[in-house]
Amino acid sequence: MKTFKEILENRHAYAKDWKARTGGKVLGFYDTYFPEEVAYAAGLLPLRLLASHCEDALTDRLMYGNCYCTRDIFNQFMLGRYDYVDGLVSIESCQWWYNAFDTTLIEFPELWSHYLFTTDYVDARTSKDAVFSELKIFVKRLEEWIGKTVTDEALDNAIDVYNKNRALLRQLYQLRRFDRTAVLGSEVMEIMLANQVMDKAEANVMLESLLPELEARAPQEDGVRLMLIGSETYDAKLEKLVESLGANIVTDELDNGTAYILNDVIPMKNRLMAIGLRYLGKPHSALKDNVWRRRPEHIYQLYEDFQADGVIIAKQIYCHPHGSDMYAVWKLLRERNIPYHTFERDTTLPYEETKLGVEALISMIKPGMTRLHGWSK
Amino acid sequence: MLQEYGKWPESAWTGGEAIWKSAKKITGGADVGTTSTQVAILADGALCGFANIRTGYDFKAAADKAFALALGNSGLKASDFSGIFATGFGRRNAVYATGTTDEVLAHAKGARFLYGKDVNTVVDLGGQTVKAVRLYDWDRVQEFKISDKCATGFGRHIEVLCDLLEVPITEIGEKSLQVETDPEPVSTTCYNFAFPETVGLFRHGYKEEVYSENDVLATHLFTVAWRVLGTVGKLCPLDIGDISVYKELGFTGGLAKNPGVTKRIERKLGVTALTSEYDPALAGAIGAALLA
Repeated sequence: MKTFKEILENRHAYAKDWKARTGGKVLGFYDTYFPEEVAYAAGLLPLRLLASHCEDALTDRLMYGNCYCTRDIFNQFMLGRYDYVDGLVSIESCQWWYNAFDTTLIEFPELWSHYLFTTDYVDARTSKDAVFSELKIFVKRLEEWIGKTVTDEALDNAIDVYNKNRALLRQLYQLRRFDRTAVLGSEVMEIMLANQVMDKAEANVMLESLLPELEARAPQEDGVRLMLIGSETYDAKLEKLVESLGANIVTDELDNGTAYILNDVIPMKNRLMAIGLRYLGKPHSALKDNVWRRRPEHIYQLYEDFQADGVIIAKQIYCHPHGSDMYAVWKLLRERNIPYHTFERDTTLPYEETKLGVEALISMIKPGMTRLHGWSK
Repeated sequence: MLQEYGKWPESAWTGGEAIWKSAKKITGGADVGTTSTQVAILADGALCGFANIRTGYDFKAAADKAFALALGNSGLKASDFSGIFATGFGRRNAVYATGTTDEVLAHAKGARFLYGKDVNTVVDLGGQTVKAVRLYDWDRVQEFKISDKCATGFGRHIEVLCDLLEVPITEIGEKSLQVETDPEPVSTTCYNFAFPETVGLFRHGYKEEVYSENDVLATHLFTVAWRVLGTVGKLCPLDIGDISVYKELGFTGGLAKNPGVTKRIERKLGVTALTSEYDPALAGAIGAALLA
């Protein structure tokens, strides 16, 4: 059986193979607010578009601004790496995602596309009605595209598959709890990323086989336990760097980390409403943490649950949602005396510069201050 | 031979035999930075030798040369030390080191050595990056921020500017302070942008017709100070807790000797920069020696 790491590294080959095996279509999406269950119920492969670290000599003339993540995804379309993608969906997210979506459609007008509005105020009284209404439109357009009806049975199956997937991934996260750390942060991140480009039924089979193996591992002492928060991440390089310095990322607050798995679709007679409520109720992304500002407390709760010793905030350069969000997070971390280090990621992860900051954070925490060794002056 | 205006004076000193012969513990620290390299030798916690030289293009040669200069004619060998710690971007090139430490902790420790245990805010003005550190009352880092843009080149920026303007590096700080008000800063992003911007200003007669040489220096040093303030400003705001402890600030690094930068930061933050009998460029090496 292929490992998650192999699938992540050969994700384009995986999707092409899936198409050949099933005869289905691939629907690319940008943001984790996209309700994958609906596309899955329609027989599509919802494919999270992930950035890579490839050379970019094309996109500068075609799009202005943009963070590295969105620019690179567009670049991969231009290089033909996403030539198997049949359709694109963008949800209401940051302006860079929308710009990438829009520019890609200018260059590739043959792609089927849909813009799915998701309210920025996810807590508002009328948000669920707005999202339900948008999902109905989306289902109708999907049905026109694939030429068949999305049935309640198909939606129920998709909900079951995705709920199971999230539950299995939550079990994976539990393997880094304080009392028994069995996996490394880099291993978990590779599984999380591979999972997002896979057919979830296939991912579930792999996870069910992998989890007992991981649970059987001898618990390891992971030194300094760190939490990672910030912008999107598309590889496990930072996690590996942290591990090389004698620490471990034990939890995160990332869109493709805990925010992807912490809540399930609660079955309701109105399936679309149930799916809509799951996405509105998921841990708020930096862009949608309006009105109540729930993120800082949520981050603190995760920090406590996983008994972390410090926090790394890795913001993508030009990522304005996290640029404005991190001040509220800093405030809470300072007030609660939690050691943290913030830095900006660029196209690549500059090893020595990043190491300098992470090493300083670890040495700030290490001398007798980790939870393992107790807190002292 | 053309004068190289950006070259700052190197220095080295080794204490007399009496200091290190009677010492119970001798430790060393090497700070191998992008622009300069320092080595400090401590005998029972007292400075008994140091060297501060330009790194040049060969990190290893600089690390070896600085160590040899600090040892002087003492007859000490690396094996006589209880420990030698290296820090800085080129730390791996100090092959005689028995361990390494990060720059943040090294400069924090070094600042406490230079300025006393009451210093709570330390700003390292290095050749490549700026590090702002806040310390607890006890000997531990509370928070730190590192300048995060590429090619920040703080100290290196000044060296290039001196060569361009043909003004010795030791004079530019005082000269820049002679202006009544600081002109608009040149590019605050990095010196790679600031340099051609300055050349462009000269082409349009900026230097001769619009402003004096001091104005050009002022605009550059204001730019550097502005970027430092951006990093320091991200530290825990002064309105949290007892602000009285933050009224003093300890600068470390080679740029700490440039009043054109430090005075502007002092004015803007409303703080007083502490002074020391030791060269602030040695802070990283002293801190590493204390940790060894």
